[in-house]
Amino acid sequence: MQCIYRRGLTRLLVSVLILGSAMARGADFQLPALNSPASTEHHPGKMVWADLVTPDLAAAEKFYGGLFGWTFQPIHAGDINYAVAMLDGRPIGGLVQKAIPAGQHQQSAWLTFLATKDLDAVKKLALSHGAKVLSDVKSYPMRGRQCVLSDPEGAVFALLASSSGDTPDYLAATGDWIWSSLHAKDAGAEAAFYQNLLGYDVFDLPSDDGLEHLILSTDDYARASANDLERGSARRHSHWLNFVRVASAAESAAKAAALGGRVLVEPRVDRHGGMLAVVADPAGAPVGLMEWSDSDTKTEPK
Amino acid sequence: MKALGSRLMASGLGAAATLMLCACAVTGVGVEGSVGYDGGYYEPYGYDYGGWGVGYRVGPGRCCDHRDDHHDHPVGGGRVGHAPAYRPAPAGRSAPSIPGRSRGH
Repeated sequence: MQCIYRRGLTRLLVSVLILGSAMARGADFQLPALNSPASTEHHPGKMVWADLVTPDLAAAEKFYGGLFGWTFQPIHAGDINYAVAMLDGRPIGGLVQKAIPAGQHQQSAWLTFLATKDLDAVKKLALSHGAKVLSDVKSYPMRGRQCVLSDPEGAVFALLASSSGDTPDYLAATGDWIWSSLHAKDAGAEAAFYQNLLGYDVFDLPSDDGLEHLILSTDDYARASANDLERGSARRHSHWLNFVRVASAAESAAKAAALGGRVLVEPRVDRHGGMLAVVADPAGAPVGLMEWSDSDTKTEPK
Repeated sequence: MKALGSRLMASGLGAAATLMLCACAVTGVGVEGSVGYDGGYYEPYGYDYGGWGVGYRVGPGRCCDHRDDHHDHPVGGGRVGHAPAYRPAPAGRSAPSIPGRSRGH
């Protein structure tokens, strides 16, 4: 009888070890900390990370490496094929390869991560204001806790409660994220949604096109804009768009085209007097290019 | 003997549960989701991601931009003169710009 119990116990322990090992293998995926060493700063509403989903990771690395000088650190864990984009030794974003299911037309895109301190409370608020959960809260030991939502108009975004604090408020270096813009059918309603979640101050700026262009700020810094989508097109889709600081928007746009991308918005002068452009990478993911001379922020906000 | 066997089985189950919990805690998996990474989302295909018209400005201004507090332009399908859905920043405050301090300074 004792022998039977021992055999049963042995089988149980072996099963547990196999299961535990399988879980550990699948979960070797570790996102890097936002800040190393950790920062004590928290900036709710600030764009602190972005993830690109692409069907061809190698092609994306070639494009973004060539365009922005990013380098990449691969993470392979189970079925996950991910690369951390690095700029000057700092992780600034990620590229994840996912196959597009056969027969489906889908658009490669960057996912915008907005900082929050209290993920659960903000997620609850978001749901009560019309958001939907696309990926529920997950913990990554070094990174923190994050979830992916779609806002009331369907724009996809992520919330991140970083366990190493938020990235400090410096002027973005060339090649780093400098700005995010939300393009929505009703920018005012969308601004209200994000204001409820993240406590933005909302400023309505004068515009020449009859559309609403709003600045969302926290800590007395502009964090993002919310903009009415151009009218007149039936193919409007609410989305977030992130901008990388470049030395020359025109040169970078030309380089993007030479690297297999295409220009979606030709270089143009924007509100701050510098140029910006929007390009799509070889898989079609839109990314913005923005010039910003150091003299463009001569005065620090009070 | 039977009692000893039961104790062994109970201990084994306890050890198994502990091991499972440790695996979850170390990897951050299980308590809040399944194994894997969901940080990438494809968007619908065939929509406009450009085509901005003249005067379509989306970037930040320099410190400190003049505000439009009149809400007298036709936005959102004709909300002329209507109070916005959001709470405007206090009157008198100018829109701030992005951080201007360089790293290492």
